[in-house]
Amino acid sequence: MAAHNITADSIAAARGGGSLAGRFRHYVRTRPEGGIVVLFVLVQMVCIVAGLLVPAQFRYLIPANIRVTLQSVTPLGIMSLGVGMLMIAGEYDLSVGAIYSFASVFAATTTNLYFGGATNPIAPFLGMVAGIAVGVLAGIINALVTIKLRIPSFIATLGAMLLWNGGVLLYNGSAAVSFQPGSPFVNLFSGQIGVIDAGFLWFIGLAVAAYFLLHHHKLGNHFYAVGGNPGAAVAIGIRPFRVKMAAFAITGGLAAFAGMIAMTRVSSVQPGGGQGMELQSIAACVIGGYSLTGGRGSILGAVLGTGLVFTIQDILLLLRAPGFYFDMFVGALIVLAVVMNTAIRRKG
Amino acid sequence: MSATATLPRTASVAVPPLYEARNITKRYGNFHALRDMNFHIGASEVVGLLGDNGAGKSTLIKMMSGIVRPDAGEILIDGVPTRIENRSASERAGIETIYQDIALVDPMSITRNIFMGREITNRWGFLRHAEMERRAIEVLGSTVHISGIDDPEKEVGFLSGGQKQAVAIARAVYFKRRILLLDEPTSALSVRETEHLLDYVSRLRSENVSSVLVTHNIYHAFMVCDRFVVMSHGAKVFEAAKRDTTMEEVTDHVIRT
Ligand SMILES: Nc1ncnc2c1ncn2[C@@H]1O[C@H](COP(=O)(O)OP(=O)(O)O)[C@@H](O)[C@H]1O
Ligand SMILES: [Mg+2]
Repeated sequence: MAAHNITADSIAAARGGGSLAGRFRHYVRTRPEGGIVVLFVLVQMVCIVAGLLVPAQFRYLIPANIRVTLQSVTPLGIMSLGVGMLMIAGEYDLSVGAIYSFASVFAATTTNLYFGGATNPIAPFLGMVAGIAVGVLAGIINALVTIKLRIPSFIATLGAMLLWNGGVLLYNGSAAVSFQPGSPFVNLFSGQIGVIDAGFLWFIGLAVAAYFLLHHHKLGNHFYAVGGNPGAAVAIGIRPFRVKMAAFAITGGLAAFAGMIAMTRVSSVQPGGGQGMELQSIAACVIGGYSLTGGRGSILGAVLGTGLVFTIQDILLLLRAPGFYFDMFVGALIVLAVVMNTAIRRKG
Repeated sequence: MSATATLPRTASVAVPPLYEARNITKRYGNFHALRDMNFHIGASEVVGLLGDNGAGKSTLIKMMSGIVRPDAGEILIDGVPTRIENRSASERAGIETIYQDIALVDPMSITRNIFMGREITNRWGFLRHAEMERRAIEVLGSTVHISGIDDPEKEVGFLSGGQKQAVAIARAVYFKRRILLLDEPTSALSVRETEHLLDYVSRLRSENVSSVLVTHNIYHAFMVCDRFVVMSHGAKVFEAAKRDTTMEEVTDHVIRT
């Protein structure tokens, strides 16, 4: 007969035994990001080896390439942190791209018009607070419409996307808005430290914060509960409305912040700049092991999913492939990642 | 009303029941899931709730748990009228439930399922994983001895039906205070596991925790229950203390109605 009690031995055995290989197998099989970690490391290894072997043809390791790649990962990466948490809570936000644009334009124009503009070093900080507030508010509106009116969030936020995209044109027109904050602001959000840019450090910092929230805080636990089985969450006393409200608000705030990081780097903002990012962020999360039906995903998965998307973009650029290759490769990657994750889970 | 209405409550005039529901009605559209239902739970008592499928047993259990709101009627806790309209209110009343549909989250671990909504945290709300795992192991080892659960970190989605039921039982048992509601808790358990759970329910009674056991197995009901309530079509059709009835009589009421 099997032992009836859980013992230290049974736990150790279930988690892969004493060997490193066993523990690694257990990790890959049980964690949502297990497959993507392996894939990411493999792709990086191949790129690094190629970059060392044929540095003239494949300039993967030159500082300029590393710098640009880290810069381009940042906005989508920050956005995906929120989008992923919301997916875990069982909802979608298709308006994040529009929030990204609207909040940035709002932050830029308020900085330029109301807080004394470029001459006042405090102005861009106040503009940023205003922009994040707009993002959080947009997220709360999404939550209210989705939950109170009982509309699938896919539809509610599709409406919000169109609304904010139209709103930014109504409010600002289609012209780009200049954003020329003083050097404290630029240094803080876009300064360079070697090949690393400050925006990337913000991404990593936010990823760490999101990691503690999602995996080690009560609220994150409730995201999983309401997304994984809403009926069970209610039966046990968790209130989905509050939990989802928090997830929507965080998602909106992060989308707005992502837009402002990008705007600071290029010193201006295009009203349509975030278009397409709503699906890219969902793609990054799916590649990172998130479930489309909620309840499953991890911050490391969202980070590496985004990282892999931009690594592929970088490889194609270095190989001078035409632009449409990128979409084709990302499309293939999504399907590959889902097939791989499903296969791993079946074996588990 | 029939003779059923005058049963054990007269014996405890001075002490009101732990829980009492009076004239409860619950409608889904025009359909009456509960119809003028009266139900009570005394101190140190195990009540057997019986009846055919669709009789309204689970609806009554969910109503007591606060996740189904009655359309009419009154609820008294220790004789005091109380509104129980969500899970937090029933928790405050000391009610813990093992739901028929288990109510676990498949992608979450066993430990996280047990402590879902009632996590052990530090003062900033961060989870104390080691402490929760320690307690999960303890309660899984002490209530239903079920084989095959080797790691509390395992996702519930990978467990068998019986193992899931064991986790749901462990959760309710861990948090039990005054009243434990068990809605067909043994449907996926083996004979040995079932006996163990029924023993446990009896033991709880001696520790002053009352239970309501919903079951289709009248032998099980007679093993542990002090009183039987038979429901049909959302209403109570029979009620008797164990000493005043027989297995044949109870079976007869379940089948006939
Ligand atoms: N949410 C609901 N909506 C509509 N009808 C329901 C709902 N829940 C239960 N019912 C109906 O109420 C009746 C009683 O169900 P239930 O309480 O689950 O019975 P039992 O647990 O005794 O088998 C059934 O006919 C069922 O179809
Ligand atoms: Mg039932």
